[in-house]
Amino acid sequence: MSAALELKGVVKTYGSRRALDGLDLAVPRGTIFGLVGSNGAGKTTALAVTVGLLRRDAGSVSLFGEGPFDPLRHAGRVTLLPQDSRLPLHARAEDLLWFYGRLQGLGEGALRESIDEVLEWVHLNDRRRSPVRTLSHGMMRRLTIAQAFLGRPELVLLDEPMSGLDPREAARIRAILKRRHDAQTVVISSHNLHELETLCDGAAFIEAGRLVRQDSMDTLTRRSRRVTFFLEPAGQPLPMEELTKALPDATWEQALDGAELTVKFFDETARAAEVNARVLEVLLRHGIGVLEIRRGSALESEYFSATDSHASSVTPLPPAGSATP
Amino acid sequence: MNPTLRNTWTVTLHELTDSIRSRRAIVLLILYALNAVVATLIFVKVLHEMENQFEKAVGVAQAEKAGGTTTAMWKNRNFRELISHLVGNKETAEKLLETPPLALFFGWLSFFYTPLLVMLMSASRISEEVWSGSVRFMMFRTSRLSWCVGKYAGQALQLLVALLLSGLAAWITGWCRMAFFDPGANAAAIAVFSLKAWIYGIAFLGLAMGVSQTIASPNVATAVGFVVMILFSVVSMLAEWVSRQPWQEILNALDLLVPGGHKMDLWLPDAMHAGVATVFLLALGAAYMLAGYVRFSRRNL
Repeated sequence: MSAALELKGVVKTYGSRRALDGLDLAVPRGTIFGLVGSNGAGKTTALAVTVGLLRRDAGSVSLFGEGPFDPLRHAGRVTLLPQDSRLPLHARAEDLLWFYGRLQGLGEGALRESIDEVLEWVHLNDRRRSPVRTLSHGMMRRLTIAQAFLGRPELVLLDEPMSGLDPREAARIRAILKRRHDAQTVVISSHNLHELETLCDGAAFIEAGRLVRQDSMDTLTRRSRRVTFFLEPAGQPLPMEELTKALPDATWEQALDGAELTVKFFDETARAAEVNARVLEVLLRHGIGVLEIRRGSALESEYFSATDSHASSVTPLPPAGSATP
Repeated sequence: MNPTLRNTWTVTLHELTDSIRSRRAIVLLILYALNAVVATLIFVKVLHEMENQFEKAVGVAQAEKAGGTTTAMWKNRNFRELISHLVGNKETAEKLLETPPLALFFGWLSFFYTPLLVMLMSASRISEEVWSGSVRFMMFRTSRLSWCVGKYAGQALQLLVALLLSGLAAWITGWCRMAFFDPGANAAAIAVFSLKAWIYGIAFLGLAMGVSQTIASPNVATAVGFVVMILFSVVSMLAEWVSRQPWQEILNALDLLVPGGHKMDLWLPDAMHAGVATVFLLALGAAYMLAGYVRFSRRNL
C-alpha cells in the first residue's frame, strides 16, 4: 500500500539556515503518526511544506502516491492544524467552519452534518454562534482542531494540537483521535512524548532537519520485546532459576538497586501478555511485590538515546552563580 | 460548477459577509456617505454664496436656496456657447451641460476620493491575513489564485455599494438644500458617475490588492499603496505638463499604464471614449493585481 505522505530529500532554507536538510519521511496510510524533535528541528516546516504553505528548495513530496499537494486534487482530502495561526476574531465559529467546508467542496447537507460532528467532538456546540474573539484560548484551540477534521479528510496534519488545552479536554481529544475513522491518517507533531507514545502507531525522530529514526511505535519502544517489573521490597534475591525455566529464550536485566527487573524476549518466544503471566506467577509465589509493570521502554528514553549526538552539540548552561566569561 | 470558480465565488461572498461582521463595511459606507454629504453641503453653500453675489451685482432679488440662478444660466444660450468654446467641442459641451451641476460636482468628488479610500481600506486586506496566519487555514482548501481573485471581487462589490450609497447621500442632500432640483436627471447622472468612479476605483483596487499580496505587514502595505498611488499621480501630472521631446512621448506612454491617464476619457460623455477607458482601467486593475499575485503565488505563508 502506498504511503499517505512521503517526503524524499526535502530541503527548505530560510536565508542561510537550513530548516529541512534532506528530510526523508514515509507515513503509512491509516495510522496515527508522531513527529518528535527539539525546537527548530523542522517539524512545523515539514508539515507546512507538505500542504504547500512553504515552498521547498529541493526534494519531493508525495501525497497518497499522487505527487505534491495540489489544491484542485487534494483540497478537502488533506487538512492542517497550523501551530501559531490565529483564526479571524470577528467570525462566528459555525460560520467559519461553514466557509472552510464550502472551500473544501462539501455540499450543504454533508457540511451541516460534519460541523455538528466536529463541534460536538471539541465540546463547542453551545458556542457555535459565538464570535471567535469571545472564546477562551483553549476554546480557540479546540476550534482549530475541529476545522482540521471537517469533512473527514484522509490526511490530517496536527501541529502541537494539545498545547493550551486543559487536561480534561486534552484527554477528550486523545480519545477522539484514538477512535478516528479507519481510513484517516493523522500526523501529530508534539513535544509531549508520553502523549505520542499512547496515541501513535509509529513515529519519526527529526533533528536539524533530518530524519534520525523512523519506525512503528512497537519497534521504537520495544513493546513486543521487553517488559519491566518494578519490585518491592527492592533488592531481595530473585528466583532466577525458576524465571529462566519459565522463559528459557529470554534474557534478564536487574537494576543495581534491585528495584527493577527487565525481561527481554523475541516475538517468537512469547507475547507480552504471556511473559507477564509467567513472570508474575513466579514472583508472586516467592512473595515479591510488583508495584508496576511497563511494557517496552519509554519513547522519551528512546528519543534521547537516538538523538544524543545532536543534543551533545548544544552548549550546556553554566552553573548558577558562575561568572560569564 | 468548476471548483476554481466555485471557490472564487465562495471567497467573494465570505469577503462581503466578513466585512459586515467585522464592521469594516460599516466604516467604509459611513466614510463614503459622510464624505458625500459634507462635500455636497459645502458645494451647495459655496454655490449659494456665488449666486447671491451674482444676483446682488445684477440687482435682482437674492434666492433663499442655491441652484436657481445656476439652472437659469445653464439654460442660457450665450453661456452654453461660451462653454462650447472653452471645451473645444460643441457636442461634448452640450452633453456636459445636460448634466446637472450637482452631478458634475459629485463626479469630480468621487473621482477624487475613491482612490484614497480604496487604498485606505483595501491595501491591507491580504497582508493582514498573512500577518495573523489566518490565511494558513485556507490555503490547503483552495488555490491561492481563487482566494486572491475572490477577495478582489468581494472588495470590488463593496466599493460599488459604497459609491452608490454616497451618490444617494449626495442626491438626498441636494434634494433637501437646492432649488430647481430635478430629481430624475440628478439621480440618473449621479448613478452614471458612481459607476464611472467605480470603474476608476477598480484600477486602484487592483493596485491595492497587488501591493497587499507582496507585503506581509498591513501598515507597511497601506503606506506603500499610498506611495505608489502618489507616484502614479506624478506620472499623470508630468505627462500633462512636460512638452519637451522625447520626454513627452515617454511620459505619455507611461501615462497609459496608470489610471490617471484614462480619467478624462472616462469623464467624457461619449460611449467610445468612456468604453475604451473602461477597458483600459479594468485591464490595469487586473494587471496590478496579477503582478502582486506573481509574488504571492511563490511566497511562504
